[in-house]
Amino acid sequence: MSNKESNKSAIETSQVFFTYPDGHAVLKSVSCNIKHGEKVALIGPNGAGKSTFMSLLNGVSLPTNGQVHINGTRVEKETLVEIRRQIGIVFQDPDDQLFCPTVYDDVAFGPLNLGLPHDEVEKRVKESLALVGLEGFDERSSFHLSFGERKRLALATVLSYRPEILVFDEPSTNMDPLNRRKLINWLKESDKTILLCTHDLDIALEVCDRCILLTDGEIVADDATSKILYDRKLLEANNLELPLALMTHELLNDILKHKDDMNEDHRFIIGNFLHAHRHAHSADGEVHFHVHAHDDHTHTHDHPPHDHDHDHDHDHDHDHDHDHDDKHVAGAHQHLHTKPENR
Amino acid sequence: MHISDGILSAPVLTAGFIGTVAVAAYTLRKLDLDDIPKVSVITSVFFVASLIHVPIGFSSVHLILNGLVGVVLGMRAFPAIMLGIILQTILFGHGGVTVIGVNTMMLGGGGLLAYGVWQLRHHVNINKKEMIFGGLAGATGIFSSGIVLALSLVTTGEEFIATAGYTLAAHIPVMIVEALVVGACAAFLAKVKPDALAGQLPLTQKSSPVKEKATAANEEASK
Amino acid sequence: MPLDIDRFAHVASPLQRWDPRVKLFTLGIFVFSVALIKTLPIALLAFCTAVFILRQSGLPYDFVASSIKWIIFFLLPFFIIMPLSYPGETAFELIGLPFAWEGLQIATLIFIKAVAIILTTFSMFGTARFDVSMIALQHLKCPKILIQMLLFTYRYTFVFIEEMRRMQIAMRARGFVMKSNIKTMHVMGNFVGTLLVRSFERSERVYKAMLSKGYQGELHSMVRFQSERQDYIKSALVLTAAGLILTLDFSGLFLPAKQAWF
Repeated sequence: MSNKESNKSAIETSQVFFTYPDGHAVLKSVSCNIKHGEKVALIGPNGAGKSTFMSLLNGVSLPTNGQVHINGTRVEKETLVEIRRQIGIVFQDPDDQLFCPTVYDDVAFGPLNLGLPHDEVEKRVKESLALVGLEGFDERSSFHLSFGERKRLALATVLSYRPEILVFDEPSTNMDPLNRRKLINWLKESDKTILLCTHDLDIALEVCDRCILLTDGEIVADDATSKILYDRKLLEANNLELPLALMTHELLNDILKHKDDMNEDHRFIIGNFLHAHRHAHSADGEVHFHVHAHDDHTHTHDHPPHDHDHDHDHDHDHDHDHDHDDKHVAGAHQHLHTKPENR
Repeated sequence: MHISDGILSAPVLTAGFIGTVAVAAYTLRKLDLDDIPKVSVITSVFFVASLIHVPIGFSSVHLILNGLVGVVLGMRAFPAIMLGIILQTILFGHGGVTVIGVNTMMLGGGGLLAYGVWQLRHHVNINKKEMIFGGLAGATGIFSSGIVLALSLVTTGEEFIATAGYTLAAHIPVMIVEALVVGACAAFLAKVKPDALAGQLPLTQKSSPVKEKATAANEEASK
Repeated sequence: MPLDIDRFAHVASPLQRWDPRVKLFTLGIFVFSVALIKTLPIALLAFCTAVFILRQSGLPYDFVASSIKWIIFFLLPFFIIMPLSYPGETAFELIGLPFAWEGLQIATLIFIKAVAIILTTFSMFGTARFDVSMIALQHLKCPKILIQMLLFTYRYTFVFIEEMRRMQIAMRARGFVMKSNIKTMHVMGNFVGTLLVRSFERSERVYKAMLSKGYQGELHSMVRFQSERQDYIKSALVLTAAGLILTLDFSGLFLPAKQAWF
């Protein structure tokens, strides 16, 4: 959709400060640069300034100091109209975003504000509703939809004005597993620039290549997802914890260390878990998990034992330290023998 | 509390509409861009809260809260109450199309007066003044509405004098309930979210803190 | 209490097919002419007309009846107060109070007119979706800002009804029972306050979301109206009825319910 040079930034902030009149500083010198087509997770505990950061991106608030550029255009009063058609923000609570009488009106709201002709609006509404799987809901009132449907509808209301950059605030809260999975797949397939503001680290782990960790209004870390989300110490120091998927793996590895104490039940449970886990994740036909079970005690890892990143096209550096004992157990369960072929 | 169709005479109905259009035009002009969605959303709460029934003895009354609208929205209370009355007329099907004007003057005027009473608190320095003046504002809202209602009945015809008297009397318990509820609510808001109250800062009429923050930020940014 | 007068707006009927702009304009005039009626026979005639119009709407009877129940409740006191307090000739004494037939006539007149207007309200707003009616009103020169606010208020009413229900359940779960005492009023004050605080926060978020989608103060609608000859024929019929009603009422053929009414 965008024919901009790939090296041009989609989102660029330089030394952005945001301070309330009462002196409370929410953002302190935040600088970051997100390129076109990147999928970035903005993570951080409650009150870290994630929401404020988001509201600076499309000029709902303006920074006290510093600059924000979207696609090379500075966010300021004069450029707001232009900025807002390039960046779409999907907020957390769908009820805040669905303020029109019908589903159709809500999706048409953005395109109509752009002043598009009615047949084009019509086309975009149909297209956006189809994208989120809500065809034929046009005349319904959004209030009568289920939460999952409203959440998807909120996304459609943003997609309809075709922003190049999509920003999500806690996209997965209160979603049931099926809808969450659909959302993840959609995010993974999208070719737009995506910024996910979340503390659902599992979704960040699956979707994003890069993570920005924001704490107390400052960027504490900005690196590849594989570096930040595997770093238990860093996360816990910032009131976050390892993604559930990684914790489970740690736990399993822990148990596998004591294979001799393990009885048939344990093996069965672990085996089943891994089996189920693999199926849940194997939509794309890949095998994702790496719990090793072989006798080679001298085996050295050339990839992270927890590597759970689904994006296999990427080469991660695997030099981060694991306090993980590299002792592997044999034959814990049938499934544990499975090793990914592409490594 | 509202008067039904079919009672009032044509001159009274007309006066109601003319008064409403005049005051609404004046107060609506004062609305900013961000007031439109905000006043609307807050109005829906008042609308919903007015569905609450409070028991009085063997009977019950529903809350009216026009005084509280004044306490919270200030001058914007009038358009807010007008919205509420129009919605009630259309949605409930209780009728009232011809009396939208009179009803808005009655309750909206009460809301504005309540706001006036509420603002008087800046001139006194006592404990719990939010509760006391909130209560006074709540009572004022109902009392003045009762007076307007009685007046519109009496001007329609002398045969309604007795009805007007009974109606006024019926307002007394409602007034007490509203005074207590609005007083408690104003005290609660003063504690929890003071900037939700109208005219909280004597010099600024607007009570939208985020906007002030934003403008402050903008001013600093433009430096 | 039904909150959605447009629940049956999808039911096909002559009124539903009527161009909402023309419909609201025409029936609006009809409603105001009913409000002006001063004689009982004409009020009855208007009532029959209103019933006839309503029959063209295809709305279920019990749906409409639920609202008439309320108006009876509101107007019942008139049937007692008016005859007993009417400053005129006393027909007889009722429990020591003077009873005047004129008072009863006025009460009846009020009642018939009120019901006729309510029935017509259903014909007006029950036969098109709420938002379509609002846009139609905008085409009839109602101020845009007012229509926009009505639509937002309408939308969020449902959100807050849900929220209020949840809060009420939470209060009941903690053993709160409404009584007529100061404690209850205090709790209700806090209850309303909590709702208000939430609405303030929500209104900020809604405004942000609207700005993000390019809101600049206008609500554009895709609703388009088209009026044909049939729409105007229907309108002409109702307007003729309204004119006839008013003419007969003013003609002096019938005595007003009370001689000295303005």
